Amino acid sequence: MNGPFLLTMIWVVPFITALACLPVRVDDHQRIKMISLIGNLINLLLVTILTCKFITVSAAQPVADGAVASLFHFTYKVGWLKMMNIEYNIGVDAISVLMMLLTAIVIFCGVLASWNVNNQAKEFFVLLNVLVAGVYGVFVSIDLFTFFLFYEIAVLPMYLLIGLWGTGRKEYASMKLTLMLVAGSAFILAGILALYFESGLNSFDLQTLSQHHFSDSFQYIFFPIIFLGFGVLGAIFPFHTWSPDGHASAPTAVSMLHAGVLMKLGGYGCLRVGMYLMPEGAQMWMDFFLILVTINVLYGAFGAIRQTDLKYITAYSSVSHCGLVLFGFTAMTFTGIKGGVLQMISHGLMTALFFCLIGMIYGRTHTRTVSEMGGLMKVMPFLSVAYVIVGLAGLGLPGLSGFVAEANVFVGSFSNPGTLNRICTVLAVLSIVVTAVYVLRAVNDLVNGPIKKQFATLTDASLLEKVPVTILLICLFGMGILPGWIVELVNNAVHPIFNNLMR
Amino acid sequence: MTLLLPDILLVVLAALVMGYDLYKGNNSDSSLPFHLSWVGLCGIFVLLFCLPYDQTVLYLGGYQVSGTTILFKQVFILSTLFAVLLSRPYFTPGGSQRGVLKYQGEFLFILLLCTFGMFTVVSARDLLTLFIGMELSTIPLYILSGFYKNDDLSVEASTKYIIMGSASTGLLLFGYSFLYGAAGSLTFEAVAQVCMANPQEPLLKLGMLFILAAIGFKLTLFPFHMWAPDVYDGSPNPVTAFISVSSKAVAIAFLLSLIYGPLAAMHNFLEPIFLVLAAITMTVGNLGALKQTRLRRFMAYSSIAQAGYIAMALLGDAGTARSAIIFYLFVYAAGNYSIFFILSIIGRNGRENRSELQGLGKSNPMLAAILMLSAFSLAGIPPLAGFMGKFFLFAAAAEKGYYFMVFFAALNSTISLYYYLLLVKEAYIVQPANEPAPLVIDGMQRVSLLVLTAIMLVAGIWPSFSNGVLAVAG
Repeated sequence: MNGPFLLTMIWVVPFITALACLPVRVDDHQRIKMISLIGNLINLLLVTILTCKFITVSAAQPVADGAVASLFHFTYKVGWLKMMNIEYNIGVDAISVLMMLLTAIVIFCGVLASWNVNNQAKEFFVLLNVLVAGVYGVFVSIDLFTFFLFYEIAVLPMYLLIGLWGTGRKEYASMKLTLMLVAGSAFILAGILALYFESGLNSFDLQTLSQHHFSDSFQYIFFPIIFLGFGVLGAIFPFHTWSPDGHASAPTAVSMLHAGVLMKLGGYGCLRVGMYLMPEGAQMWMDFFLILVTINVLYGAFGAIRQTDLKYITAYSSVSHCGLVLFGFTAMTFTGIKGGVLQMISHGLMTALFFCLIGMIYGRTHTRTVSEMGGLMKVMPFLSVAYVIVGLAGLGLPGLSGFVAEANVFVGSFSNPGTLNRICTVLAVLSIVVTAVYVLRAVNDLVNGPIKKQFATLTDASLLEKVPVTILLICLFGMGILPGWIVELVNNAVHPIFNNLMR
Repeated sequence: MTLLLPDILLVVLAALVMGYDLYKGNNSDSSLPFHLSWVGLCGIFVLLFCLPYDQTVLYLGGYQVSGTTILFKQVFILSTLFAVLLSRPYFTPGGSQRGVLKYQGEFLFILLLCTFGMFTVVSARDLLTLFIGMELSTIPLYILSGFYKNDDLSVEASTKYIIMGSASTGLLLFGYSFLYGAAGSLTFEAVAQVCMANPQEPLLKLGMLFILAAIGFKLTLFPFHMWAPDVYDGSPNPVTAFISVSSKAVAIAFLLSLIYGPLAAMHNFLEPIFLVLAAITMTVGNLGALKQTRLRRFMAYSSIAQAGYIAMALLGDAGTARSAIIFYLFVYAAGNYSIFFILSIIGRNGRENRSELQGLGKSNPMLAAILMLSAFSLAGIPPLAGFMGKFFLFAAAAEKGYYFMVFFAALNSTISLYYYLLLVKEAYIVQPANEPAPLVIDGMQRVSLLVLTAIMLVAGIWPSFSNGVLAVAG
């Protein structure tokens, strides 16, 4: 199978999966779930093949140290809409390949974790697969128009997924999430059109646009617009407020996918469109965004301390950890950007596992309030141990993925000699302490202590539930113990972006 | 002569419908006029594809046929066709909660005649023909909006429409008098010469301002949009749909032929005006729609907002603006008619309120899905056609460097998404208090809805649609 075809298949397969669900009888839940599972398993295989191919190809063609143009592999370009010369233009670099791998793992686990969705299961899995198709589409596009198109496809199904299958204040949360994210895309849309017309190249191609040197005054205005637009999805302060409500109300698989992968689209867009196309703008605005994301990191951590609902705790910790992604980028050093990318992957795995476990625990205890639980270690040792491990990954314990990413972020950020960078790094590092407080407290209340009477009869995870948890745990450990190949790949992809930034 | 065949056939069709009606007498409930109309319209639609797209001027320079006019005529025919199909249940007993309409032959005749007026507007090459076409496309609508002859709301709608419409006609003629004063002639060439020679000519500017006010009424631009909610709410459903699509399309065609034709040289002067009008119109429409619970009033405000987006494209260059607007009119027509078909289906059992949609997701998943797709298409969500349409409209404005206008309009789309999502929420998320009565969907409605949905799904991503429009109009 040649590369471009593989890339196209990767976003087409979820669409086909969604279509294949349509003719199934409404109450034949089992078949719908099997179709989704098989579709996503195929995709997981395709993405794995892609990753292997990519490693071979990129080893054969290493990126030169001084390269300023991102090296995309498996590129394919064909004219699509003649109005504005829109092209179907695909290709991947290491960041997108890794993000696709993350997506495939998370969604595969997500489908398994939502095996107990029985209310309108057909609609649920159709929407979920459409959403996933959008996510893959973003990662394969290098044409800004298709990029934006897929980006929106990934955002919209969320409204119904949360509104229909969510819990708690789901109507409020889903509306808030959708509107804030779409408002973010209003920023992006204006930015993309401005890039297109300002360059005068009659092309949305990322590589073509990156050759153009946009004037400083243009970048001064449009860099923050693009960065904030994507930043909304990355939960940048003060536009993070959709995240806690949305993630807390969403059903398990959606929380996993949204916090695990979709939020990364924000960081991915900031890096790929914002910082890559407008490096001078990035230089001008970085101090401002550095302050914003430092607030993010601290605010998320302190917010999580205040919460008593397990999902809210995780959602706020997502705000904090996603802040670290952007924090790495705003460091404007090679290590920092690399750390940001690693943090995207690490946080994706970690938060997916968090939400997966919370979904399973909630499905048993029917409460998410930490203080009402306790002693779960006695009745569900598997889930409890997994929860402890992922909690430790969250506070950056060496040997787990979080350490690799956070170490890079903080080292990278501190190595920028600016005074503001130093101060912000010190402040952001403090967030680890705060993280320890809320993670350990939740763990303590959840798994230790005497067991409540009404929980004494609960059972541990079934085999079906153990599968996704185990996969995610293996990935967490894998990235923590053997980060070499990932770091190598990310290095390759970050070099050109960083060189471009320093041009 | 062959170039004029569609126009001629349309008049012949209208005459046939009227003739049959006269021959059979008014109380005839024969369905022949209906079948004759839709078959004829389909025929004319196909015929329009067969015409050459080169510009040809006829009748001493007073009338023209070109790619743009053919595309506009297709929009009009498509809109009339769906209006005819939509009207059918309203003439059969039990078709609508509001009562049965009578005089179907008359209704169709007026509708077809109105469409001929629109044909005249797009083909006109002098101001007088333009005016006659405009009146021919407006006056029938006064009659149609009052077609529920004993219904207070309908009569009120008609009255309001006549009063506002006549005032705008007055403004239009007043504006014309300035153009005539400046050019000494009503032909496009003469006006164009004066305008080229002196784009700063105050008479032309003043005239254009009055014309803009008059067209603003038809296009529901702020501050001339006040009539829309009442007229939309009171008129019979198919008439509302027709007004919301065709009447807007003809107004924008009128503007396009003036500002990119004889008055092209003063586009610079008009840009800030369009900018302000478009910005305010979309905001007013979007904010107005937020609180509406009656769906036809809701659609009125939504279409005011859409008019704002369309007007925004007038900032761009001729080719870009024309192709963007025509493409958008197609997809806007599909989205709007699809919603009005759904209204006609739920209107069989109850009032057309938003709460009537509750439980649709469970009781009728197909209809709910179509409602969602139409709402998303109107809101401009990819990969539906509405997204591409809006993208091209925005691009037309961005081309001239109005990036912040694009930003503003995109934020406005976000507001509009809120109320379109309310429809989706009502259909899917809100649980109905009591079991809704089963909906009756007849074959005609089913087929129409499927066609419209197909247009919304495919027109955006299948390249030949937008490429075709670009090739012909750009």
